Amino acid sequence: MPKRLVYLDNAATTPVRPEVLEAMLPYLGPDAFGNPSSPHRFGRAARAGVEEAKRSIAAALGVDPGQVIFTSGGTEADNLAVIGCALAARERGGPFRIAVSAIEHKAVLAAAHAVAHLGGEEIILPVNGLGEVSEDALGEALARGVAVVSVMWVNNEIGVVQPVGRLAARCREAGVPFHVDGVQAFGKIPASLHDVACTLFTISGHKIGAPKGIGALVVRDRHAVEAILHGGGQQFGIRPGTENVPGIVGLGAAVELAAREQAAFAARAAALRDELERRLLAVVPDAVINGAHGRRAPHVTSVSIPGTDSEALLMHLDLAGIACSSGSACSTGAVEPSHVLTAMGVPRELGVAALRFSFGKQNTAEDVEAVVGALPKIVEKVRALAAVLHR
Amino acid sequence: MRNAEQQGRVPSQEPASHLDDRALCSAFRVPRFAFGGGGAVRERVLVAMSGGVDSSVAAALLVEAGYDVVGATMKLFCYGDAVPDRPCCSLDSITDARLVAHKLGIPHYVLNFEDRFGRDVIANFVAEYARGRTPIPCVRCNSFTKFRDFLYHADALDCAYIATGHYAIARDGALFRGRDPRKDQSYFLWGIDRTVVARMLTPVGALSKRETRDVARRLGLVTADKVESVEICFVPDDDYVGVLERHLPADAPALTPGPLVTAGGAVVGEHAGFARYTIGQRRGLPGGFREPMYVVAIRPETREVVIGSGDELFGHTVTLGEVNWLAEPRAPGDGVLMQCRYRAPAVPGRVREVTGGTIAVDLAQPVRAITPGQSGALYDPDGRLLGGGVIT
Repeated sequence: MPKRLVYLDNAATTPVRPEVLEAMLPYLGPDAFGNPSSPHRFGRAARAGVEEAKRSIAAALGVDPGQVIFTSGGTEADNLAVIGCALAARERGGPFRIAVSAIEHKAVLAAAHAVAHLGGEEIILPVNGLGEVSEDALGEALARGVAVVSVMWVNNEIGVVQPVGRLAARCREAGVPFHVDGVQAFGKIPASLHDVACTLFTISGHKIGAPKGIGALVVRDRHAVEAILHGGGQQFGIRPGTENVPGIVGLGAAVELAAREQAAFAARAAALRDELERRLLAVVPDAVINGAHGRRAPHVTSVSIPGTDSEALLMHLDLAGIACSSGSACSTGAVEPSHVLTAMGVPRELGVAALRFSFGKQNTAEDVEAVVGALPKIVEKVRALAAVLHR
Repeated sequence: MRNAEQQGRVPSQEPASHLDDRALCSAFRVPRFAFGGGGAVRERVLVAMSGGVDSSVAAALLVEAGYDVVGATMKLFCYGDAVPDRPCCSLDSITDARLVAHKLGIPHYVLNFEDRFGRDVIANFVAEYARGRTPIPCVRCNSFTKFRDFLYHADALDCAYIATGHYAIARDGALFRGRDPRKDQSYFLWGIDRTVVARMLTPVGALSKRETRDVARRLGLVTADKVESVEICFVPDDDYVGVLERHLPADAPALTPGPLVTAGGAVVGEHAGFARYTIGQRRGLPGGFREPMYVVAIRPETREVVIGSGDELFGHTVTLGEVNWLAEPRAPGDGVLMQCRYRAPAVPGRVREVTGGTIAVDLAQPVRAITPGQSGALYDPDGRLLGGGVIT
């Protein structure tokens, strides 16, 4: 067991914050475990928790409490937005067609595929070398007519920030619902919806210190989406099912904390990230920071280390006590660069050699120190290995 | 019990009794402790964990012995869309390996070898069938993947050793049969690089399958009662022709009809492609002969599948190509024990001729269905694996 453990994979998930756990506990115990739809005291106690959380989230996002729909997480919220909008459009005789950016999370991309599979059509909006979505392509999609446009605010792999305010305005002008996946944006950059005229907005609990299995979709126009789950009519029928009360309460607490701490966190994370990038480039001079020159969120950096492969790097880093993630994925046949790096035009050999470090509130300068200390030797070994394996 | 399991084996190929005793104690040496950096540093070993019971127990025994154990599962192929009802990428077995590693308190990783395994093992498997031979992909997997590519990773991770769940015993740079004759897998190991043997640990080689399961149960490993897989890992449902059909063009000679002939040259029918046949096969041949007929030869150049009586299946001489030695190479006149099929008895023989990469051995007794593409593994009377080659 390594002496010191460093967790730099906060974009994958985060530990539950003690304050969040504290807030949740009553809703797991004998007093407030009730079904929020029940009229008795147990139900009322649970309902109070749900409504309070809804209010906190609405306040933090600058929306109405009635616009917050809880889901089982970011993936479900994204599916509801993309598929729900497509189904609603088809229902009213609109275009059964959606447009999503090429660097969306798989939750959005796979939902878009599902629409195509159902007989609809998907339009993939390309990005440039910095990961910025092509606004020309958006214009063409809007001109053709689509049920929804989905663009993520902050990309989970490289941290690129999209101008969602401007994109939202263009969609509104065209009368097209606009969905923003805000899972990696909320708590990291100023992410109030006051200035973003989006129709739908996704957040996820476990990226901000709430447990896994809870998320929310802000639905500003209930006519824009049709339910994809069917049941007892809870949450206006948009997302039926007995509410995950403890999760919802946890999400409320985490959102409130994240909103309050956002500016301070961003400053700290940016300083740590910059320090990591600067020192990493000093010890591995040919490393490449993917999307470095674009507008980036403060907590994520994607680094490609030529002549290596990320699987082996991750393994060696883990043995050294350092947890981060790769920029590659298993697809049929072999390890391939992620769709994000591929869409940005990152060459394959750099794409399969990408590491993602993502910062959370617990990280310190010592964590950066640990990475920079361990990396040169690891890179040397993995390069030697890769040279043998790719001979 | 053991006698029944060993019926049909040549007594001289049994491990000598002193080996048995040592093997019972331990089939692998205890770790050395190097000193440095403020205390003892345990020797590190990379264990190939397939998600089955054998390699799970191998890892467990190494942990108990005090090694610094790192577990890894090799991802060798992807079923992809071809087999939708199977978990893609055998995720179940990766999960099992991961659970065992977690239980043992050791790290576990997945190593992707799909490209290299596809090239070194699957492509060869297809090419061999395409030229009328019956390959053993497990042999090439051991030679090229498990005991070569895997070792590269071990080197990078500063591992002194690699370990697997093979039923074979590596000791002092030599490889021996596993103690459980019904499980012995040394036959598949003749092709590995000789220098690798000194870095192999074979913790279950001295156990019977039953003892292996007992260890797994004692430790509460999820894989304790897992059913053994007997098929070739990348061939779903034992349908190797399906694999060939996916990899070869539709008009490949191996898959298209050709004449079924007798050794005398008489055409007695048509077959559906010689890759569907193997030497000694009886199934799928026409009836109407005085005695049961078997495939006795495949002639890819004329697409002929030759059938004959059971007597015609026996041969006295075996020639091996791609020969590899795990001991001092044998010379003409030397006596060896030759095993031509997995679980078949080894037969005494004498080396007739050795040329670069090939060896011809005259056998003291005839052997049934000597099949090109299968392996000939050479042993000494102590059960030491001397080397082997591919039957030509």
